[in-house]
Amino acid sequence: MSARLKILEHALASMARRKQKNFAIIAVYTLTVATLASILFLTQALRNEAANVLLGAPDLVVQRLLAGHHDLIPKQYAEQIAKLPGVGKVTPRVWGYYYDSLKKVNFTLLGVNDASEPPLLAGHLPTSGRQCALGRGIADTYGVEIGDSLVLVDSKNRTLLYEITGLFSHQSSLLTNDLILLPEAELRRFFALPDSQASDLAVQVYNEQEVSTLAKKIKHQLPDTRPIGKMEILHTYDTVFNWRSGIMLTIFSSALIAFCILAWDKATGISAEEKREIGILKAIGWETSDVLLLKFWEGLAVSLSSFLLGTIIAYLHIFFFGAGVLGPVIQGWSVLFPKFDLTPAIDLYQIFALAGLTIIPYIACTVIPSWKNAVTDPDSVMRS
Amino acid sequence: MRILIYLLLCLLLFSSSCFAKQPQQPDKKERCPVCGMFISPYRDWMGTILFKDDSQLFFDGAKDLFRYYFSLPNKNDSRTRDDIAEIYLTDYYSVRLLPVNQLFLVLGSDVSGPMGHEMIPVTGEEAAKTFAKDHNGQKIISFEQLTPQLIPKD
Repeated sequence: MSARLKILEHALASMARRKQKNFAIIAVYTLTVATLASILFLTQALRNEAANVLLGAPDLVVQRLLAGHHDLIPKQYAEQIAKLPGVGKVTPRVWGYYYDSLKKVNFTLLGVNDASEPPLLAGHLPTSGRQCALGRGIADTYGVEIGDSLVLVDSKNRTLLYEITGLFSHQSSLLTNDLILLPEAELRRFFALPDSQASDLAVQVYNEQEVSTLAKKIKHQLPDTRPIGKMEILHTYDTVFNWRSGIMLTIFSSALIAFCILAWDKATGISAEEKREIGILKAIGWETSDVLLLKFWEGLAVSLSSFLLGTIIAYLHIFFFGAGVLGPVIQGWSVLFPKFDLTPAIDLYQIFALAGLTIIPYIACTVIPSWKNAVTDPDSVMRS
Repeated sequence: MRILIYLLLCLLLFSSSCFAKQPQQPDKKERCPVCGMFISPYRDWMGTILFKDDSQLFFDGAKDLFRYYFSLPNKNDSRTRDDIAEIYLTDYYSVRLLPVNQLFLVLGSDVSGPMGHEMIPVTGEEAAKTFAKDHNGQKIISFEQLTPQLIPKD
């Protein structure tokens, strides 16, 4: 066994002798890393989900405004928009919200009329009147599967029974979790929507650069509309997540500072016993570099194990236990929607930044005061 | 041996020229021969020249393509304008490669490409006029009307 490994062995043995102190440090250290990593994981995962959602989003959504709020848009607007150069397909969409007072959750109902199967769907899309396809969250809320029936109450207060023909998988959760697909004609009947109008228009734009010009032109030609570009939605999401995670980081930075004080105190306040230990080691012939290596191993053992433990706890917290502690803070009003599991998305850069910010200062805190002791004369160290 | 390779190469080129000429897509390492910039990040601006010997050059915009076109033949390139089979440019509105005679070029607009001021290829006169109106275009020309003096300087 090389001398270095023997020093590591000695370090671990000497740490085992001061169990209580080291366990206290590891516990607090782990807790801090776990909170910080939880925030990082959660915001990263949410941002990732949002980006995935927007990947399939239309380049431009055109809504109609009436007295400042969202209103149904006449279908002939679609024909007018389709004539503008640079515009591809204009699809009128029909959708609405549905509040289930029994389960106290909000659903989104969306009309489908083409036969194209969306990805991540088990079963098939609703084809005839009384059929529907569901997101996972709704299926879990009611405890239903393909082949079962779903009960919805329509705008005329009639209770309707829909046969479930399709179920979206977990991977598409954020997008489809609270979604119920109905045939468009059926959805119009359900909400008593007129045939000549749609909820909004999804506009395909070939050239990304032209989106803002087209938005301006649509607004000019149809002054009662509100065109929303894909980038605007992305920026909104980004701002919201940054703002929320900013608030949380502000709160938890106090936890970080508290941890720093503890780490500093525990690590630097070398006890008389430790000083004596260093003195003895020097007296029996240890080099200063050996003492430093010993202290380095000690610091690394504590900080690395706490860091790994904290990161694992954060991972489990966010991706297995649905961010139970932080979720309500960062999701805001969306707690009204059915619960969903986040897809793990981790930015390695953030992990390394967190590791650098916690491991290196701690090691420095342990090594520097020991170095001060190790360079003084062993005799005076032991006498003091 | 070398003659044999040349013969084989000629045979290969000849046989492949029997097929209809369609522009290939550039690979990731393709660079513009005029400015040296990579092509693939700027697919929306890409232009390409197909030669009769089936070789193909990619440019990161109409401006660089026409600079090259008017420089032929030059001391680095023995090819002449007669060797060109077809010129393709990316239509601004549909972002598709189209033969240059189907396109109009809008000069002096406020839309700039990867190399600054650009001449914007647009399909159809109606669309070209709309583009000029929306983006402050100064002049609409067809490929036949293009002269080296009309190419933007920067």
